[in-house]
Amino acid sequence: MSDYALTVSDVSGRELGPLSLALLPGEIAGVVGPAGAGKSWLLRVAAGLLRPSTGDVRVWGMSVADPAARLLIGYASDHAVVPNALTVAEVLLYYARLHRARSNGGGRTPRSLVREALELAGLTAAAELRVDTLGRADLHRLNLAQAALGGRRVLLLDEMLSGGALDAFARRDLRGRIARLAADGVAVLITSRDPATLERLAARVLVMRDGRVVRAGPLATLLGERILEVILDAPPPEPPPGFRVTASGLEASLNGRTVEAALALCRAHRLPVRASRVRVKSLEEIVLETHDTH
Amino acid sequence: MQFLRCVHAEFLLVLPRIVRTHLGFALLSLGISLVWLHAHGLDALTVVLQAGALGAIVGAAGVVGHENDRPALKISLTHPTTPLAVALGRWLAIVSPAVVLALGCTAVIEATPSALMASLLAAAAVGSCALAIVLTLGKGAATTLFLLMAVAGTVAPERLVDLARPGLLRLTAASVLELGPALWHYRDIVTGDVGAVLHALAWAGLGLLLAAAFIGRRRR
Repeated sequence: MSDYALTVSDVSGRELGPLSLALLPGEIAGVVGPAGAGKSWLLRVAAGLLRPSTGDVRVWGMSVADPAARLLIGYASDHAVVPNALTVAEVLLYYARLHRARSNGGGRTPRSLVREALELAGLTAAAELRVDTLGRADLHRLNLAQAALGGRRVLLLDEMLSGGALDAFARRDLRGRIARLAADGVAVLITSRDPATLERLAARVLVMRDGRVVRAGPLATLLGERILEVILDAPPPEPPPGFRVTASGLEASLNGRTVEAALALCRAHRLPVRASRVRVKSLEEIVLETHDTH
Repeated sequence: MQFLRCVHAEFLLVLPRIVRTHLGFALLSLGISLVWLHAHGLDALTVVLQAGALGAIVGAAGVVGHENDRPALKISLTHPTTPLAVALGRWLAIVSPAVVLALGCTAVIEATPSALMASLLAAAAVGSCALAIVLTLGKGAATTLFLLMAVAGTVAPERLVDLARPGLLRLTAASVLELGPALWHYRDIVTGDVGAVLHALAWAGLGLLLAAAFIGRRRR
């Protein structure tokens, strides 16, 4: 048995990869990048739905093609696709029946698996609703319930928190549910085209572009970079070295210099400084910078 | 045992579809139409065969023809099941309502048990073929198959080939009718034709394998 919940080793496909990553139990890793970067491809390969040209995917040391691995790994696609004409509970019961025989050792019946999944995703009140009447947030919850059903230990969530139709409350609710699963030891690999949605969830971030991981690291490290924002009374004729012009004045990265030194540089250029503040760089800025420099 | 449970899970999807979608209504309409045609001169064997075969095509459209069905099958495969279990379960879901329809028509028009047996085999063969076709080409293909089976499927290939200067098109059509599941073939089951029975069973198996291969294919 491997220490890693999920290992993706040197997988490549059509013009994508090679790409490797390993996920520890309880870890939440976010994959960000623009549309077409290969995020969904990576998740489909990890779920065993696509066959990579090279490399392999292992779940707790088992090949993802092994049916036993599918008891441990759950996948939610970017659009919830479920058999039509069913209620939420019926959809989950359909999937739970596929798990029953192997789950019987734990004494769990399909209906008990459905109850667990409904509670886990916050869908108990919507259990008897037809899936074609569900709103966007409930469809995402159903997708999460389907993926996590049966106590799976690795979750692959494609754009679970993205989409303009998801309001801030639904995103916060889903984020909380995913974080609780991770706290129970479930490893989560989640993609997003909007980096901001992962900023309060992922412990590690992988930035993808053109099918390759171009930057990766713990979120705390990536977000460690500080930015000095300087608000000016009038726009500067020319920014000092290392500064960028913004709508309200200037800003500069504080890498390797102090706030005082940066402000002294502004004063030396006779800029009318009204105020200044220090903030950390957002994940979105880091992703955009990474995208532009690779 | 796991395999059978997965088959059962797929089969159970047919019940809500009959009640909550157009599937139940479409099957009922088909049954009423066939009985009406019998009252206006269509022979009992043709009616029962059509009930089985056309009922299976309508079933295929209802069970795997929805735009969500094909992508949803991929999600099913991320659970502990197999493509063959999925295909077999869906085939049972397709064929079962057709069998009920054939039974109903047999009872109403008082057809013979051998006609019913031929109808069941026709439903099995055509249902399997329709499953593979609808999975591959979508719901629109079910309409084409329905029309082909209702009209051309009753014509024996000899009637096309025996015409003067048959031409390539007619020869192709005759070959399709000869090789494919067609009702003219399955009429002979009533007379105990082993070849016709084997033809139906072969199509039932081939369609299932093709459907399972389609469901289980993993693109690169």
